[in-house]
Amino acid sequence: MAGFLLQQLVNALTIGAIYALIALGYTMVYGVLRLINFAHSELFMLGAHISYFLLAVAAANAGGAALTLVLLLVFAATFVVVGLIGVGIEAAAYRPLRGASRLAPMLSALGVSIVLQNAVMLFVSRRPLPFPAFLPQLSFELGGAIVTAKQLFIVGFSALLMVGLTRFVNATSFGVRIRAVSENLQTAQLLGININVPISLIFFIGAGLGAVAGIFYSSYYGIAVFSMGFIVGLKAFTAAILGGIGSIPGAMLGGFALGLLETFGTGLLPIVSAGSIGTEYRDIFSFSVLVVVLLFRPSGLLGETVTEEGMVYKRDF
Amino acid sequence: MTSDRSALNGAAASPALDRLGRARAIALPLVALAAAVIAVLNAPTYYVRVVDMVLIYVLLGTGLNMVVGYAGLLDLGFVAFYAIGAYSYAILASGQFDIHLHFALVLVIGGALAGLAGVLLGIPVLRLRGDYLAIVTLGFGEIVRLLLNNLDWLTNGPQGISRIDEPRILGFALAEPQDFFWLLLPLVAIAFTLVWRLECSILGLGWAAIREDQDAARGIGINTTFAKLLAFGLSATLGGVAGVVFAAFQRFVDPVSFSFWESLTVVLIIVIGGLGNLVGVAVGAAALIVLPELLRDYAEYRMLLYGAGLVAVILMRPRGLIDRRYNPAWVMRLLGWR
Amino acid sequence: MTLRFENVSKRFGALIAIDGVTLDFAPGQITSVIGPNGAGKSTLINMAAGSYSVTAGRILLDGIELQRLKKHQIAQEGVARTYQNIRLFDGMTVLQNLEVCLFAELVGEAWAEVLLSGAARRSRAARVERCRGELARFGLEPLAEAMAGDLSYGNQKLLEIARAAILRPKLLMLDEPAAGLNHAETESLKRRLRELMRPDLIMLVVEHDMSLVMALSDHIYVLHQGKLLFAGSPQEVQANPAVQEAYLGSPGEIDQIRDTARRRTNRVRIRADADIERRRPHSV
Repeated sequence: MAGFLLQQLVNALTIGAIYALIALGYTMVYGVLRLINFAHSELFMLGAHISYFLLAVAAANAGGAALTLVLLLVFAATFVVVGLIGVGIEAAAYRPLRGASRLAPMLSALGVSIVLQNAVMLFVSRRPLPFPAFLPQLSFELGGAIVTAKQLFIVGFSALLMVGLTRFVNATSFGVRIRAVSENLQTAQLLGININVPISLIFFIGAGLGAVAGIFYSSYYGIAVFSMGFIVGLKAFTAAILGGIGSIPGAMLGGFALGLLETFGTGLLPIVSAGSIGTEYRDIFSFSVLVVVLLFRPSGLLGETVTEEGMVYKRDF
Repeated sequence: MTSDRSALNGAAASPALDRLGRARAIALPLVALAAAVIAVLNAPTYYVRVVDMVLIYVLLGTGLNMVVGYAGLLDLGFVAFYAIGAYSYAILASGQFDIHLHFALVLVIGGALAGLAGVLLGIPVLRLRGDYLAIVTLGFGEIVRLLLNNLDWLTNGPQGISRIDEPRILGFALAEPQDFFWLLLPLVAIAFTLVWRLECSILGLGWAAIREDQDAARGIGINTTFAKLLAFGLSATLGGVAGVVFAAFQRFVDPVSFSFWESLTVVLIIVIGGLGNLVGVAVGAAALIVLPELLRDYAEYRMLLYGAGLVAVILMRPRGLIDRRYNPAWVMRLLGWR
Repeated sequence: MTLRFENVSKRFGALIAIDGVTLDFAPGQITSVIGPNGAGKSTLINMAAGSYSVTAGRILLDGIELQRLKKHQIAQEGVARTYQNIRLFDGMTVLQNLEVCLFAELVGEAWAEVLLSGAARRSRAARVERCRGELARFGLEPLAEAMAGDLSYGNQKLLEIARAAILRPKLLMLDEPAAGLNHAETESLKRRLRELMRPDLIMLVVEHDMSLVMALSDHIYVLHQGKLLFAGSPQEVQANPAVQEAYLGSPGEIDQIRDTARRRTNRVRIRADADIERRRPHSV
């Protein structure tokens, strides 16, 4: 029993880390622009695909000893490339719509996500690509559960990235500006901050983290496919909401929380329902979490509760 | 902010048509109707099929327009109501359970069921802020699709329900696309009339106020929850009706036809056509259904072009292709009905 | 028929905006609520209108407890208000802004409007007639088809009041109606408000413009730091020393404030701020 639970825990942490990384992108963009960046899920997918090709190139040219260095380079390159794509999308498709209705940027984001998904489908591959295993296939037993090197790597590296992001946002001048624009965009502008810099930075970092999550996801499940973004993206968004949209620690917490909920929830469903509801209900389960959170606690675990004061004089959505 | 005349008054009519005098009130619609009759009776079946689909999407667009265009609520899960209507007919008029209800009856039942679903969904969901509402409705749409896929005993799962009954009205069987045209045309006309009157009514004004500033609307005594529920319920009903007709038209339903892309298509029709404008709905539906048919050779690229087109239109004309001025009031003025 | 704030308190977290205040407002007279900023004046209106919840106490209009009701229900009980920063429906015409106020009254017949074409035309015509009449009272009739957002500031304020007045409310609350108006417009406002007065109307005005307050009011409440400082006629209020002190500060206070400001230091990490300081010339 303990082994089973521990196994589920390890699985939960792994997928949770991936959700957390993607959720960070959603939450940061929402925090500053109040925009649900539908295209974000496709950046996750792009990360997987771009790294697929970089890894193929790396495998062809690099030897065993320089492997770690090469891997880090691939990660960094993917981060940067997808990050820049994210910045480009913001500049081309969202920035011109900053003054327009709330509907417009959302629809633009939808359009971009459709374009990205279909572009990859048409010009890269319609069929799933077999993602290379760049990590040693090690696994060891821990208290009845089997933990793989892959899982350790994903959780560990994700934690590192999250710590790095937290430090960046809390202790650097760029971070101050990011927090300023997230707090109150207009005031930040009035204070003389060129808001486009922190906004672009937010998109860069968010996209990069999502891309790395894509690498993790594809290496975990062994494939990269053009359609991988939609459902995972929706779940990561659920995680962001669960943790409190707009809150960076919230996104991290939400990611792991959703991982736990999903893994334990769908792991228990067959047991609880005596086999009638199977694990194919995993997706319905996650969507239901989304709906339930939004209905009963839309501010999530760590999110802002909109105070009454704000409500009277601001236009309510 | 346009500083031209109020939206409900529409743009000024054309002086050229004024010269036709009073006769044009009847002449123009009659001419249009005659042209439609001749066209439909002589055109190849394929074209009539396309026109039928356009009309079904016009119905869908008219429904969603009440929620998105008038009340200003972004519903990304509209396909759920479409599916409820369609599967109502599929279940109640086929070999699935060997129930064979009359088409007109299911039209009412399907519409009512979808409307009920809309109200039930609306009650918990409508107090959410706009972007949250969008996500929840999207989630709801997905949940419905997944349920259709998994509740095999009811919906026959991924295989769908085939051999749906041929609909009959007053003894006439609706077998050919031409027959459906004669059903859809009056249906769309009725829907347009009712929804246009809604837009001009005090309820329509209330919706506009909610769209502008929900909080201030409450301040002047508008029960916003009630008004939004009404919009949701009415739009869902129209979606359900469209679904029933669709199922009768295709004689086959499966979960694949009711994915998020359908919701998106209807949203696109409204947005591209022009938010809140019924004329825009018609134009948008025509554009979004006919264009892919014209570009059949490039069918693969359809979604890609959809996405690119969406971004392009939003960037260039955030309020949609058809200006608010060219609304039903303008059309009526052209016809001399005002 | 009266409006009564009974022992009403409002706190926002640790901030006490209104502290156990009891006020009565009688019909047929204009009662103003004044006080220095932060005194809690707008909060009173917001609580009565349902925008804020009440932390303690009751708000009674003709015996009906307003603090229990939802915002739209309060409006339907005959409470109308204007906003400090105007909240008109910018994308609708002036006429429509007025028409929509009749929603609660007319929504019951909406089904007839939709299903019966004759009824549709007739009810719309009646509605428009009534609203045009109201607009004429305020001199806004020529602007009926203009977009509310395009109006001049003075006209927008007028429209707000017209909207509040159209349903013949029992309670009319005006939140700084003279804000941003020039002298001539303020005089005009004074006249209009007096014209609006009815024996069965309670008018509550929150205002900073002292000349308007003194000329217009029959009774004045002075709030200070969430409590009632003084109540009386305009003459009594002007003469009261406590009121003067609240507005202008006592002689020693100004120096005290200056000293404290000089001595206070901020113990926050400077590094990040310094960065912004250096960069500011480029980032504007």
